[in-house]
Amino acid sequence: MKHVLSTLCLSAVCLWADGHGPAFGFSTATLGEGDASVGTAVMWRSGVTMIGPVMSYGITENYQLSISAPFHLDHGEHPVGRFTGMMPGDPEVEVLNAWRFHHHSSGVGTRNEGTLYFGGSISTQTPPRADGPPLHRNTGLYVGAAGGHVSRKFYAWAGAGYERHFAWSQDHQSDALLSSFVLGWRPALLDQEYPKPDLRFFWETTAEWVGKASRFVASPITDTGVHSHEEVISVPQPAGTGLIVLPNSGEESMYSGPTVLFTYKNVALQGGVLFALWRDVNGVQPADRLRAVASCTYYFLGGRKK
Amino acid sequence: MTCRRKIGIRGVVLALFLLAGTSARAEYLRIELKVFGLDCEVCARGVSKSVGRLSGVESVTVSLKKGILEIVLKRGNTFTMSALRKRIKENGFRSMEAKITAIGSYEGSGFHVLGSDESYDIGKPASSETSAVEVTFDTH
Repeated sequence: MKHVLSTLCLSAVCLWADGHGPAFGFSTATLGEGDASVGTAVMWRSGVTMIGPVMSYGITENYQLSISAPFHLDHGEHPVGRFTGMMPGDPEVEVLNAWRFHHHSSGVGTRNEGTLYFGGSISTQTPPRADGPPLHRNTGLYVGAAGGHVSRKFYAWAGAGYERHFAWSQDHQSDALLSSFVLGWRPALLDQEYPKPDLRFFWETTAEWVGKASRFVASPITDTGVHSHEEVISVPQPAGTGLIVLPNSGEESMYSGPTVLFTYKNVALQGGVLFALWRDVNGVQPADRLRAVASCTYYFLGGRKK
Repeated sequence: MTCRRKIGIRGVVLALFLLAGTSARAEYLRIELKVFGLDCEVCARGVSKSVGRLSGVESVTVSLKKGILEIVLKRGNTFTMSALRKRIKENGFRSMEAKITAIGSYEGSGFHVLGSDESYDIGKPASSETSAVEVTFDTH
């Protein structure tokens, strides 16, 4: 049964979440030492559909390693930033380290925590663009931080992360800064004893800045027939060559909306929709009025030791 | 280890049983441990499973609302409270006070759990009992 569920979660047909915190926003690492999870998220926004498989492992109770590899099913011309705090919006393989640097359990069901994130990524797909050939693959670095309070009734998390891309061939994918604020609650009616199904509701708000992408356009090779050193270096670079900032890239935006998390036994199902509160798009990219995510996670709990 | 006595020497003298070759085993019988920080079903399941893997544990029951783990142990186990507290920490939570039922003997003002190197200051017994007894006490 466990293997069947794991396979379902890893397969692309599983339309369901990637943790047991918020769906889009930042939260603190939660796996115990030796615990692991596998999951798949389906992420959607106008014209763009991505599948995001993710695996996490608790090396210690305060240090978690995650690998995610979202890929496009459909692509669009939207500015691409982070899809969630824990997953890139570009088709990339990302290795993310989470260090829970602060952890204080202050009462029954109550914790205050702070986590730092550090990771690296590499592009896996080069989506086509309307304004020219696809950009070359990039590598990226990601740093983030999150803090929060959890209890049996209420949850609150705030966090932010910055992803910086580095060019391989002078093309430059958009950098992105994502911040989030999440409130959650478990209604008294749903405050059940273990082992009963657990249902929680969140209201998530994200604010995002996505930088402009740029493309390196090489000068056309022309042979003037003159090969003296002085004349070659005096040839001016033709217009439209060099590093060209792509006008239809980058945005600033805010989204807000409800998400829900259901957990029972070793499985977590999660989903939600964020609606655009405000968008300021560079250029003429298509409207991106909502974002949705649905995911399924299977947990391997109990640690690794006898 | 600072401890306070609750009630309860059940008065069962088990010296013969314990001296008959089982003294190398720890004799924790039942533990109710308060745990801070358990907020959800997945957390409770993780703790329950990992504590259940400790040597000598027969069953684990978790109350999320009370934040209490009830652990029943097999006879003749090698269980230790330090291992239990370490396991709770590895899961990212904080172990607090516990109500322990164990078989042991009084040594001075301390109660030594048989077969383990763990002892608790729970005060002197009402009687001058020096053989192995089953005792329930609270500890922090």
